[in-house]
Amino acid sequence: MAAEAERAILAPRRLRITLEVGWFLVVFSFFTVLALAQLKPQPFGRIFRFLLDGVAVTLGLTVVSFCFILLIGLIGGLGRLSKNPILNGIATLYVEIIRGIPLMVQLLYIWFALPQLLDIIGYKLKGISALAGVGQWFIDLKLSPFVAAVTGLSICYGAYMSEIFRAGIESIPKGQMEAARSLGMSYFQAMRYVILPQAFRVILPPVGNEFVALLKDSSLVSVLAVSDLTRRGREYMARTFESLETWTMVALIYLFLTLFFSRLVRIMEKRVEFEVK
Amino acid sequence: MSDEIIRIEHLYKRFGHVVALDDVSLSVKRGEVVVIIGPSGAGKSTLLRCINHLEKPDRGTIIVDGIPLTHEKANINKIRAEVGMVFQQFNLFPHLTALENITLAQIVVRKRSRQEAERIAMELLEKVGIPDKAHAYPAQLSGGQQQRVAIARALAMQPKIMLFDEPTSALDPEMIKEVLDVMLQLAREGMTMVVVSHEMGFVKAAADRVIFMDGGKIVEEGTVEQIFNNPREERTKAFLSKILI
Repeated sequence: MAAEAERAILAPRRLRITLEVGWFLVVFSFFTVLALAQLKPQPFGRIFRFLLDGVAVTLGLTVVSFCFILLIGLIGGLGRLSKNPILNGIATLYVEIIRGIPLMVQLLYIWFALPQLLDIIGYKLKGISALAGVGQWFIDLKLSPFVAAVTGLSICYGAYMSEIFRAGIESIPKGQMEAARSLGMSYFQAMRYVILPQAFRVILPPVGNEFVALLKDSSLVSVLAVSDLTRRGREYMARTFESLETWTMVALIYLFLTLFFSRLVRIMEKRVEFEVK
Repeated sequence: MSDEIIRIEHLYKRFGHVVALDDVSLSVKRGEVVVIIGPSGAGKSTLLRCINHLEKPDRGTIIVDGIPLTHEKANINKIRAEVGMVFQQFNLFPHLTALENITLAQIVVRKRSRQEAERIAMELLEKVGIPDKAHAYPAQLSGGQQQRVAIARALAMQPKIMLFDEPTSALDPEMIKEVLDVMLQLAREGMTMVVVSHEMGFVKAAADRVIFMDGGKIVEEGTVEQIFNNPREERTKAFLSKILI
């Protein structure tokens, strides 16, 4: 009894403290960046202005990829739950293969290896007269760095997201689907109106975490000639050799962004919790 | 239209090594109230769930209102909308209010307008005695109230048949009556009902026919009088001696 009462009192307090520390860090990192840029315009102000383009690219890349990732996650998750052996097999294969290869290697593969692979396939197809057009299309296909980056991040994170969607949908009791079907709803109607709205609340925290992780991992696309925050940092360093100042600034901006979005996700979680009760 | 609304012939169903249904045949007339009793694992729920195809039988035929239940999806969804089902665990949609629980399938499946669906939902909430709970979420309702909303939800589809799978087993004793009263009223209005329940009050008041199942088979069937006062089979007697203290 005593221990339980103690836990009941302690739990909310601990939560409140972490929340406040979280917000403190957001504000702190934000003002550190601003203060450095304002108080020491040489070199921090200059670095900050140089990096701003990269911040926009990093955010754009993350948001665009995340939309695709949610779509892939939904389709992949449903595929993993499908009783159809072909759909299930494809989804499982996709998830297992992608999760077994590092993101960095996947990005390098799409940027450097895929064009060669497409060329080979293209020339093979050109040999078959009926498919010559398709073959030429394969050979001509050139991904821009941004498109390649979005593709790589979406395919990789889509696999992890599929597992999150699968777990979320599986966490909804079987009786919900049965009740919906017993009212005459089709499988997709039941998913759309009954299962997914409930699963959405369950998966919101892990999905939010994925967004923040994606924001950080997007720094890897700097190897694909995408001028994101990290690559802008490298460019600036190469020009001025002000390594310490440049990377301090880059790190602080990432820190602010990730902390800020983590807090945002936390607020959304709270909202949803209250809505259900 | 014949007055036979459900016809089941030679139904078999196994779960792994467990035989749930073993050559079950049954016919239910329009407006009839059939109560299925029997020990747990007798196949009562499986039989009920086969009628709206929540379980796929291994073998046998089911004809509901003249439509044979084949594995074609179109047929199955059509029949499910005609067959209301009430579950032991209520299975209300927790993210929707009582009213929305009742309107959802009307709008999505029956393609009714929101206004019409809400009008029908309110009438039904009135009927089950909780119009004041229209905007409450399931978590804010007692078990008895939740089950009454679940009945209203099934009725909103204007089903020809209602299936009840142990509708009062998960309820606290003081809430059982409010649910049984709704079911009794339905029976009096002439609804065709197949009920799995051991609530003697309901069985005696409403059942036209009682079926005793054991080991996946229909062991004995008859009127309330026959089954409870003059059971022929030993297994029926043994079972009744346990539930009728």
